[in-house]
Amino acid sequence: MHFKVRAAAKEDCKDISRMIMELAVYENMADQVKTSHEDLERDGFSPNPFYECLIAEVPDEHKTKDGYTVVGYALYFYTYSTWKGRSVYMEDLYVMPDFRGKGIGTGLMAKVAQVGVEKQCVRLQLSVLEWNKPSLDFYIAKGAEDLTAKEGWHFLRFHGQTLDTLAKEAPKD
Amino acid sequence: MSNFILRKAEPKDVSDILRLIKELAKFEEMEEQVILTEKELLEDGFGDHPFYHCVVAEVPEDHQSSDGYTVIGFAMYYFTYDPWIGKLLYLEDFYVMKEFRGYGIGSDILKLLSGTAVKTRCSSMHFIVAEWNKPSIEFYKRRGASDLSDEEGWRLYAIEKDDLVKISTKTR
Repeated sequence: MHFKVRAAAKEDCKDISRMIMELAVYENMADQVKTSHEDLERDGFSPNPFYECLIAEVPDEHKTKDGYTVVGYALYFYTYSTWKGRSVYMEDLYVMPDFRGKGIGTGLMAKVAQVGVEKQCVRLQLSVLEWNKPSLDFYIAKGAEDLTAKEGWHFLRFHGQTLDTLAKEAPKD
Repeated sequence: MSNFILRKAEPKDVSDILRLIKELAKFEEMEEQVILTEKELLEDGFGDHPFYHCVVAEVPEDHQSSDGYTVIGFAMYYFTYDPWIGKLLYLEDFYVMKEFRGYGIGSDILKLLSGTAVKTRCSSMHFIVAEWNKPSIEFYKRRGASDLSDEEGWRLYAIEKDDLVKISTKTR
């Protein structure tokens, strides 16, 4: 099946939002999605974007049963390692179920890798849920290494109330 | 010691920042993995496209460290994006020199960054900690941090440069 990978435009945010929800449903976390397509537009397409996005598009004759031609996306941003410098972090990679097995996921990820290499990034990082075997296999086949297993890294966060509590005690300027 | 200030890092601080980065890496038993240079830190933090933001902790000259430094702590952070909740503040490195611990400097840095997160409309402050680093984990958990790896099963994966180049040249 012919498909194209291109940089997302502001107008694509409705499709990206739709697919974000689809991915959240797959991860059994749909109730945690709070962003709207307007949030995505503001955060990705202003002078200081917080993410970049690539989308995969199929020709009209292959559109989904609901009429969509945008069938996959990869959302990423730049991070920084104090040891090695510039890195790229792939936050989301998703292809609609009917369009899997055709190289679209690989195509999207290859383009993220290319962008990363062009920007002189030393590595690409991502996180995967431990039960998500198909995704783990996909990434390991491309050379991904489990740093949680190898080096013991855990993700922590301060969220909601705990963040507010800390912030209230911030030293004054 | 109540006499310390927290301020935004400036270009002149890059050699102190690199020194502190190496001290932290040594503590994490990974000193040889630091290949970053002062030149890269300067370009990447203070050039056209900053990849990070940095806050430093400084003491007056009469309280300088045993080897003569006044910049005795730092925190490096940047903004990331969660498609479900939007902007996040990501804490990349956070370190206070051993002889200056126990005075609330680390606590104040964390509170300052939390304030920054809230002011810049971030829903969360994220970071990673090595599971063997019990003192740091305790420090964060005492302040309300939750462990997403334990609670939700997230694992960190990385693809290094060589493999990155390999997969990128396979584009259609």
